[in-house]
Amino acid sequence: MATLALNVNGKNYNVTVSNPDMPLLWVLRDLIGLTGTKYGCGIEVCGACTILIDGQREHSCVFNASSAVGKKIVTIEGLSPDGSHPVQQAWIEHQVPQCGFCQSGMIMSCAGAIQAGHTGANEIMSEVKNLCVCGTYQRIREAIQSL
Amino acid sequence: MLGTDVLNTTEKTNQIGRRGFLVTSAGGLSLGFFLPGFSRLNEIEAEPLSTVDGTQINAWIKIGVDESITVTVGAAEMGQGSMSSLPQIVAEELMVDYAKVSALQAPASQAYVTAGSGTVRNQYLPLRRAGAAARELLIQAAMNLLGGARTDYSVTNGIVTNTKTNASVSYGQLAPAAALLPVPPITATWPPLVPDSEFKLIGKALPRLDIPSKTNGSAVFGLDVRVPGMVYAVIKHCPAFGGTLAQLPAKPAGALAVVATSVIPASARGSEIAGNYNAVAVVATNTWDAWQIAKQLKVSWNIPASSSGIDSAAFQSQAQTLMSNGTPYIAEKVGDPMTALAGSAKMIDVSYSLPYVAHACMEVLNCTVNLTPTSCEVWAPTQGAGIVVSTVTAVTGLPASQVTVHTTYLGGGLGRKIEQDYIAQAIQVAKAVGKPVKLMWTREEDFSRDQYRPMALIRGRAGLDSSGNIVSWIYRNVSPSILAQRGRVLPATGDSQATEAATALPYNFGARTTEYVVHPSPVPIGFWRSVGASLNTFAVESMMDELAQFAGEDPYQFRRNRLTDPRWIAVLDAAAQLGGWGTPLPAGRARGIAISKAFNSIVAEVFEISQPALGSITIHKVACAIDCGRPVNPDSIKAQMQGGIVHGINATLWGQQTFKAGAAVSKNFNRSRMMRMSEMPQISVTILPPNPNVPIGGIGEPAVPPVAPALANAYAKLTGQRIRNLPFFPNATMGGL
Repeated sequence: MATLALNVNGKNYNVTVSNPDMPLLWVLRDLIGLTGTKYGCGIEVCGACTILIDGQREHSCVFNASSAVGKKIVTIEGLSPDGSHPVQQAWIEHQVPQCGFCQSGMIMSCAGAIQAGHTGANEIMSEVKNLCVCGTYQRIREAIQSL
Repeated sequence: MLGTDVLNTTEKTNQIGRRGFLVTSAGGLSLGFFLPGFSRLNEIEAEPLSTVDGTQINAWIKIGVDESITVTVGAAEMGQGSMSSLPQIVAEELMVDYAKVSALQAPASQAYVTAGSGTVRNQYLPLRRAGAAARELLIQAAMNLLGGARTDYSVTNGIVTNTKTNASVSYGQLAPAAALLPVPPITATWPPLVPDSEFKLIGKALPRLDIPSKTNGSAVFGLDVRVPGMVYAVIKHCPAFGGTLAQLPAKPAGALAVVATSVIPASARGSEIAGNYNAVAVVATNTWDAWQIAKQLKVSWNIPASSSGIDSAAFQSQAQTLMSNGTPYIAEKVGDPMTALAGSAKMIDVSYSLPYVAHACMEVLNCTVNLTPTSCEVWAPTQGAGIVVSTVTAVTGLPASQVTVHTTYLGGGLGRKIEQDYIAQAIQVAKAVGKPVKLMWTREEDFSRDQYRPMALIRGRAGLDSSGNIVSWIYRNVSPSILAQRGRVLPATGDSQATEAATALPYNFGARTTEYVVHPSPVPIGFWRSVGASLNTFAVESMMDELAQFAGEDPYQFRRNRLTDPRWIAVLDAAAQLGGWGTPLPAGRARGIAISKAFNSIVAEVFEISQPALGSITIHKVACAIDCGRPVNPDSIKAQMQGGIVHGINATLWGQQTFKAGAAVSKNFNRSRMMRMSEMPQISVTILPPNPNVPIGGIGEPAVPPVAPALANAYAKLTGQRIRNLPFFPNATMGGL
């Protein structure tokens, strides 16, 4: 058992985990209750679990919770207070999501790429490699091109 | 929640057609009516419906005194947009802005099976009649209040106006009085429908209602459900199909419980026999702990010797034997094709094969259950909430009246989430632990224990006369039957879903026959987006291309010259035109074309590809034309064409599940390659104009079937090599991000 102090979306949480190696994904979803971040593969292939840790895109399915102590964690719920982030707005304008399950990770990957200083549609797109089984890629491309 | 609880005071019923009816209820205007469910799956799994006076109700329009307009949607929303298209249809007839209407997920008693691309096409007319009936009742209430004749009245966005006196009154104000009015009998003239020429919403690209919640993390999928006091379970199946639990392991440290789960009769498929304990669930206080304990847990299984026969190489050889020796069902036969073949000038004799393919929905299977001695509440990503009620009843013995099912958003359904295996497991675990429980399949379990798209081996023989006319067409499909595996006795024509898109073909064939041989499968199989059409269209449209080549004709013209139905010709022409068929291509590129009809929609696609290196292809452009009879939301149609094409590409190039020593081989996305964004072609879509004289077609599935043959046809043109065995690249893997 270990208690970890985590800062998620600007709020502090003390969470007790059975093992400090528990991936952040399950801490966020099951212990804190922020379910916007999704489990897709557990092996860093799909990207549905993408979040930002100190501004860097990370795959929370393999990111140990203990390694996030003292860092700023941002999930889809905290990307903007009201869904007004330009990436979120572009996703709505271009009617991107179908089932929507991968889109939290898609939006976080895209927003993270922009935050990391990538500019221009082609450069941002090359950073967003997440898997979408519904095949929304064309609309994602259009949404990114509109940014 | 709307439902039978609002049916308390004035209830009046009227028939809409054979089984439909309308009933009003006071307290605002609640108009209940029957929407025909999709019969394809109802044939095998009956769905319960609530009844009033013995008449079925499964949908409601409610107009509140606060001017709110709510439509209960009995369809599951899995990305296809039904949750928005149905309110769009109702808003048209109510003569209100789309923005005024909100959608509410219906309880199980009002849910229908979401499958077969059926939601909009089955409910288009009933929903219009229901919306129109509500509007007319509200206008009648206004007439009672303000006087005048029906012709004096107009409606603008929910405001009813007597155009003679300019007196106006709102729907919300009229609703209580309208609810007390008798509902006139439904006839050809009542309620009057908005003429197609005056549509303001139907046929318009409108934003989907669910999309904002899918950009901010607030959309609740099954996996996101949280119930107070809930514990978490992770399933661990026997590693081999057909195996059963030898002994329940002791509860390891950190686990709350280890529960054995059995196969319920409704989920018995192939080697998975009803009553067999084929899995254990590890229960813990969170998903990760449950998963890690399950991983470490040593479980003793009894694996029958027959499990070793679950092997892809063995399946192939069985299929070959059945192709030669199997007794066929005759799905269709015209004339004497064997004699015609013998007399033809040229003939082809070719075989195609397709593998088992997993659904691989982005959201793994999961289900949350809160079971008490007198009630059961289920939250599930399900395509059949009504079937879930039957599952609860079967596992718990509770009557349906004590069962509540909440349909969450589905992170993909694709046909997999009609099944009940994961639901039944969650109920069994909840029963054992006495607490609310959320059960999850890991991705590895999801791939290993799918109910796969069946494999198929198809042999086609066709003969051309000296003028290039097709004078003989002999087609035999050997594949596992979904319906037979579920205990259905097949009619003399076989399994109609297995031969979908292989019968009633539009081409001018001479003598022809379509035969079907059941290949008994120990592997559980199920409905995979577009079902049999995805198998048969690959063979049929590849054969048409091979014949074109043989005849020395252009593949587009070859098809066109053998079609007579103007709809098929128009769709083929539209795709060819959009895809620039016949126009010069850059060096190293080629195009392929294919067309098919599924779920009443005709879709043609043109693929433009190149081969930068052996073992891969680049898809540059896809042109797609669809005739779905009546387009409701063109933007949703385009999205489904784009999505269906990507789904088809994934299956065609890389999709397969293989089996060795009783078990599935691919267990995660790294061994089941799919397209990434950098590989996405530009897909352009043409939607043919509305045609009031044909049945409305579906949109969720029909884009899938033409993909495989269009790609194979382009590949043959490009390389001279004909790919007859899918997938194109069976050894592909997918790297990490």
